[in-house]
Amino acid sequence: MRALRRFLNRLTSWTRRQQDEERLRAEIEEHLAMQTAENVRAGLSPMEARRQAVLKFGAVEAIREDYRAQNGLPFLEMLIQDTRYALRRLRKSPAFTVTTVLTLALGIGATASIFTLVHAVILKSLAVANPDELYRLGKESRCCYWGGYSQEKEFSLVSYDLYKYFRDNTKSFAELAAFGASEELFGVRRAGSSEAAQGYPGEFVSGNYFTMFGIRAYAGRLLTSNDDRAGAPPVAVMSYRLWQQRYGFDPSVIGSVFSLSDKPVTVVGITPPAFFGDTLRDPPPDFFLPLAAEGDDIKKADTHWLDLIGRIQPGAGAPGVEAQMRVELKQWLRSHWGEMSANDRARFPEQTLFLSPGGAGITSMREQYEHWLQILMMVSGFVLLIVCANVANLMLVRGLERRRQTSLSMALGAQAPRIVSQALSESILLSLAGGAAGLAIAFAGTRLILYYAFPPLSGMAGIPISASPSAPVLLFSFIISLVTGVAFGIAPAWMATRVDPIEALRGASRTTARTASLPRKTLVVLQATLSLVLLSASGLLTAALHNLENQDFGFEQDRRLVVKFDARLAGYDAERLDPLYRRIYDSLSSIPGVRAVALCVYSPLSGNNWGAGIWVDGHPPPGPNDDDDASFDRVTQGYFEVIGNPILRGRGISAQDTATSRHVAVINEAFARKFFKNEDPIGKYFGRDEMRSSRQYEVVGIAKDARYLGWDLAKPISPFFFLPQAQHDFMPNDPTNEVSPSSHFMQDIVMLTWPGASLSIAQVRQAMASVDPNLPTIRIRTLKDQVAGQFRQQRLIARLTSFFGILSLVLASIGLYGVTAYNAGRRISEIGVRIALGADRSQVIALILRGAFGLILIGLFIGLPLTFAVGRFLGSQLYGLNPYNPVVTFVAVVTLGLSALIASLIPAFRASLILPMEALRAE
Amino acid sequence: MKEKADVLQGTLALMVLKTLDVLGPLHGYGIARRIEQISGDLLTVNQGTLYPVLLKLEQDGSIASEWGTSENNRKARFYRLTRGGRKQLQAETRGWEQTAAIMGRFFTAKAEDFQ
Repeated sequence: MRALRRFLNRLTSWTRRQQDEERLRAEIEEHLAMQTAENVRAGLSPMEARRQAVLKFGAVEAIREDYRAQNGLPFLEMLIQDTRYALRRLRKSPAFTVTTVLTLALGIGATASIFTLVHAVILKSLAVANPDELYRLGKESRCCYWGGYSQEKEFSLVSYDLYKYFRDNTKSFAELAAFGASEELFGVRRAGSSEAAQGYPGEFVSGNYFTMFGIRAYAGRLLTSNDDRAGAPPVAVMSYRLWQQRYGFDPSVIGSVFSLSDKPVTVVGITPPAFFGDTLRDPPPDFFLPLAAEGDDIKKADTHWLDLIGRIQPGAGAPGVEAQMRVELKQWLRSHWGEMSANDRARFPEQTLFLSPGGAGITSMREQYEHWLQILMMVSGFVLLIVCANVANLMLVRGLERRRQTSLSMALGAQAPRIVSQALSESILLSLAGGAAGLAIAFAGTRLILYYAFPPLSGMAGIPISASPSAPVLLFSFIISLVTGVAFGIAPAWMATRVDPIEALRGASRTTARTASLPRKTLVVLQATLSLVLLSASGLLTAALHNLENQDFGFEQDRRLVVKFDARLAGYDAERLDPLYRRIYDSLSSIPGVRAVALCVYSPLSGNNWGAGIWVDGHPPPGPNDDDDASFDRVTQGYFEVIGNPILRGRGISAQDTATSRHVAVINEAFARKFFKNEDPIGKYFGRDEMRSSRQYEVVGIAKDARYLGWDLAKPISPFFFLPQAQHDFMPNDPTNEVSPSSHFMQDIVMLTWPGASLSIAQVRQAMASVDPNLPTIRIRTLKDQVAGQFRQQRLIARLTSFFGILSLVLASIGLYGVTAYNAGRRISEIGVRIALGADRSQVIALILRGAFGLILIGLFIGLPLTFAVGRFLGSQLYGLNPYNPVVTFVAVVTLGLSALIASLIPAFRASLILPMEALRAE
Repeated sequence: MKEKADVLQGTLALMVLKTLDVLGPLHGYGIARRIEQISGDLLTVNQGTLYPVLLKLEQDGSIASEWGTSENNRKARFYRLTRGGRKQLQAETRGWEQTAAIMGRFFTAKAEDFQ
């Protein structure tokens, strides 16, 4: 109580400081007057009486100091005083302040923007209730369909039937929800409106999906189990994003009917703004539909297309639930024993599953980008280190300049802690200013990185990562700026107090204290080392990117346009496809300047493929552990000519391959090598495992290896075969059962133009609209852009690293320049004497350069082994480029050496121009 | 070193309170003279140390002060005991007397008392 009152008193008295000082002064004066009067009465002369009174009173300043300490808040006061003092000092040297704050802002901004991405992609939980209670099925995320009754390594995707089995038997889950592992694009149109349908992504989710996540509707209602039943009225939930951007918060959207890929669906509610679904994706889903609305896959027990996330009961442990689900998996598999293939049965014993924490949802993006982000985090950390070294260097120079002043203060009785705290408050102030400016840079930087890494598609949502710094990012930046402030502030402060006042005041700039420059030299060496590391890292990444972009893709990129569309979005079924393709072909071919048109499921590097197991005729059927994987694509006649993929032997897909002619396939070289080894494939037959047939297709041609898949760029091109669009595959024992009918939905149209012809996007859109106004054209881009898009992230990383490398080089050069100029300045008189004694300019230049290059050489010596470590760390991101690349290392060394030469030549040249008389007079 | 100063400050505060209790409102110089008269040389060297003590007591609410006129017609700041100060004085007096009594018994005890 009393302590509180004293504090309040102090606080109030602190605010009327001036008044109190006056009061003390008056009281002292009064006291002395009374004592003097007393002394005079005792017989002393007025002068002596006054003197005695003062003596008796004691040291007035000490008492005043004591009084002040009693009165007010000394710590706070000191802090404010130091801050004010530091501000005044910084204002007086604007060049230093601006340079330091900018340097720091770059370092902190770079680190904070990368951390924003790391936080969003790796660390952040979904915006749902109690994410710690969530568990998901699977250790790694898997895309997107899996057939049969066995899965490699772990059972992580499930069918609707298996989901129901788990849901009904695992009582340890409060809720177990399922959702499609991949998004689906819907052609969306508000019922009754005349607008053209536009493609938006949507996701099929179980009825308890939102209950499981503990999410409430932003408006209207979310899905319930009642919606997820056969025969229930079709409903969907819309994303906040779409409601805001497309419909401007129109309340009549809720309850109105939309046409989703030509099916009427009522929108019943809006999800909350922060919710972007179960997976961090680009783009996030705009519609959530009940599983029951999914037509085909839901009925098949052996089509696994669902991910599972469940909220575990309080008190239930994940290991127990996992063990129980493993038993349930085996029970379910046994109940389907009759439908299992021989291979599935053989793999039955090793079938197992894993649960992992699901608070972050399905972390496919994290698995994909973790290594990239680690590289960027390390690079930006290096930049921050270089920035700190540079700022420390600047601060050291400042400390040295202030040495005489500090000595004077110390001689007058200033306490060492006070001097340190003044120096520290200056550096902390600088680093906080740098941190604040850094946040602005981080915001801009993150936006820029996101824009380049995930370019927005028109009308669709961008990736749900916010560039504005979140609380952890703010805290992170605040802590790094504080830590850097203290780290680079302590050394100069400590050095300042170590000065022997007399020594320093005697002063002369001639002191032999070379040691003072040792820390600065160390910092320059550190900077040189780090920039060499960054330069070689950026060199390696750039060289790897160059190799990637200039590889032999096996197809032509020039004069080719790819139009992406999906007939399902306009509600087309299998029967209406052939006439549609014919109309598209006719319409696009008639555009002036177009030389040829072909359709395919996947054009090269469009980002997906269709997988199959291969059984070659005359070979034994593949066993459970045989690698029989290949990818296939369906194409229309003339496709190989349009794409510029040379046919090496035989022929391509042509007009003679009709629905009724014999089934044919064109294979690539990798397919021939893998499955036909030493045989001649032309005229041979093969089939697909899932059709249990080896005589399905006759090989009619071999195409040159062309790169289709974007995710294994470091590996050789994988086996591919191409089937005619016109031919449909049926099970040999059941001619009504078509195999993979949806592979007949063509998704890409490739157009080849005549040399010199220019084709506008509008012309293509118009031609597509004339085919069917309801058919949304998802994207039109050149094949060149499509290929470049595959390397977007690699290019971004290479550019960012190069930017950081150049930044670090500039900073290191500034550091070297500073040290060289400073040392040259200290040796003015020495140089003057040398010149007077007959040394010529070049000798002086060599003298200064020798000092500077000594430092760089040490930096190289330490840095070279580190560059090899960096090469190893980059490893797989170099796509087969040798990480110990002598050319890259050589270029990095030469670049560093050249910048060092320029940085030290300026002060050296200046030193060589010294006039001996002037130098000696300057003493 | 420091401990001694603290003890001195503590006793000085108590002396100030007692002086104001006995003599009524008084200015700083008067308090200093009174303490000097009674305690001998405690304050002869550093009369000024009294003022931080006065401030602390005032902040604690034990004494209050206002400007007034001294006996020889000078403007002076007069300090007086508050109710809280009187209570504090009583409590601390008791404490001191107890301590003094214990210490007194301790010093007068003879060797045989310990057996």
